[in-house]
Amino acid sequence: MAVFTRTTKNLILNIDEFFDNVELGVLVFREGIKSYLYKNMDDLERHLQKVDTLEGNADKLQRSIENEMITHSILPQHREEVTKLIDELDEIIDSVKSSLNEISIEMPDIPASLNKSFISLTEASANAAEELIPAARAYFKAPYTVREKLLKVYYFESETDKISRDIKKQVFQDMKELDLAHKAHLRYIIQHIENISDLAQTAADLLAGMAIKIVV
Amino acid sequence: MILFFLTSGLFLGWSLGANDASNAFGSAVGSKMVSFRQAAIIASIALILGAVIQGAGTSGTLGKLGAVNALGGSFTLALTSAITVYMMTKFSLPVSTTQAIVGAIIGWNLFTGNKTDSATLSKIVVTWITGPVLGALFTIPLFILVIRIKKAAKIHLITFESFIRTGLIIVGAFAAYSLGANNIANVMGVFVPAFNLDDLDLGIFTLNSAQQLFLLGGMAIAVGIITYSKKVMETVGANIVQLNSEAAMVVVLAQSLVLFIFSSSALSSFLAGIGLPAIPLVPVSSSQVIIGCVIGIGLYKGARNINFRLLGEITVGWIVTPLITCILCYLSLFIFRNIFNIDVGSKITEGVQSSGTVAVIADPETSAIMRYLLFGVLAGGIIVLVYYYLLERKKRLELQKSEAKFWKNIK
Repeated sequence: MAVFTRTTKNLILNIDEFFDNVELGVLVFREGIKSYLYKNMDDLERHLQKVDTLEGNADKLQRSIENEMITHSILPQHREEVTKLIDELDEIIDSVKSSLNEISIEMPDIPASLNKSFISLTEASANAAEELIPAARAYFKAPYTVREKLLKVYYFESETDKISRDIKKQVFQDMKELDLAHKAHLRYIIQHIENISDLAQTAADLLAGMAIKIVV
Repeated sequence: MILFFLTSGLFLGWSLGANDASNAFGSAVGSKMVSFRQAAIIASIALILGAVIQGAGTSGTLGKLGAVNALGGSFTLALTSAITVYMMTKFSLPVSTTQAIVGAIIGWNLFTGNKTDSATLSKIVVTWITGPVLGALFTIPLFILVIRIKKAAKIHLITFESFIRTGLIIVGAFAAYSLGANNIANVMGVFVPAFNLDDLDLGIFTLNSAQQLFLLGGMAIAVGIITYSKKVMETVGANIVQLNSEAAMVVVLAQSLVLFIFSSSALSSFLAGIGLPAIPLVPVSSSQVIIGCVIGIGLYKGARNINFRLLGEITVGWIVTPLITCILCYLSLFIFRNIFNIDVGSKITEGVQSSGTVAVIADPETSAIMRYLLFGVLAGGIIVLVYYYLLERKKRLELQKSEAKFWKNIK
């Protein structure tokens, strides 16, 4: 029994640590994009290193969580869904890493007039992912509160969509001075930033279903 | 020859273990919360303890219904009950060992010209109905309590599941204990009046004649659990687990409480002592009680969740099982007496039955055989336990090694 209790405690700690990593990853993403927009390349590099460490940790924790759940037959009825949720959250931090990496490599030329819009887009997209974490934590401690927490995820995701549409419209319709390749590149970067909130929404959908099953 | 006569009881015990142990550990094994090996060992030990410590009460009630006074009769009763249980299970019809053995005793009474005690019979039949009803009544408040504790405590889902897992093991062990205490009468009850063995001194405690038979019957049930209950646990268990894990635990707890109540002499005497009506000590069907408990959960969640087909199946079981066994037993007794010339029992004269002097096997040789048999089976059981332990240990060490290798490679 002592071995079992130790495994359970380890698993709870690992899940919490995994959530911490994703949450910090999103925070670093927000700061990384801002650093790039303000042309602070040293800070961007620092954020990239940080997110790289966080993503590596998250991967290790993900393997460890799945491993412990299977070998010690923990949460047999919810294991598949919990594993899927962890997968979806890992996708978010993976996407954060690849987005920052691509920005750092491709160095997109973002016009200064769009800085404010890009910051709003990043804020909304990161907020959607950030709001997902308390909901995911609540699934394990207070599943009755999960759905109300998820409302904020859906709100920020739709905000992100709206901002993204506005920026794209501005880029393609109002900024005649930009060539098509430049516009396409900007659209690509916007989609990268927007992708974080889309992934948060996918995880939120899964979490909402999981919460209903556990409450009923 | 004496041991041959016991084989039908042991066969009945084996089928009881194969079928009914799933009611105690089906939910735990079906949900993969407890491994089958763990469940089989815990259930076997708890069941044997229940049978030996507390099996006398229900056995006494069956004895009142019909004190079979010849080994041939006991053999036929157990055999026909086992055949009925086996056949009905094969055709997926609801069956209870309890109802089969009662039908067989009535068949024996009819054949030998003994009067069936209507008071005892009605007492038994009433408990068949009250068993599932009590199961449902126990389930509802227990389920509400668990739900409220879960909501109020706000504990981590993984911690809660670990509590449930521990709960399922404890409750499963209690259910197996209660099953042994309550249902051993079905397996060995008919042999009790026909045996009068010398007391068996095991150093710490002494087993009387009935307890030795219960120990042997308990071991037969344990063999049934170990050899044949895995599939039943996984399939029947999976049906119960369609409820969530806390509901499954409550269902098993409520079922074991009902079985315990109907087999506890101490509780019955206590109630009688404080002026309340004593609880009849009667073997009840664990499968039917558990259906009552599941219906209790259905009632709590709304009547539309109730499976009325199951209710119908229980009612059919109350009538069909005793009837078939009664007819089969009567015909078998006729064949055994008239074709094989085996003594299957005779009419008991008034006064003899009540004084309990119907035992026919009382020679020291039988006691010695039984002693060696019990010691042999016990030793075999201990060897199997040690083997299982070593197997588990080996598996655990291999797992640890492969884990260490995996993480080393990852780093």
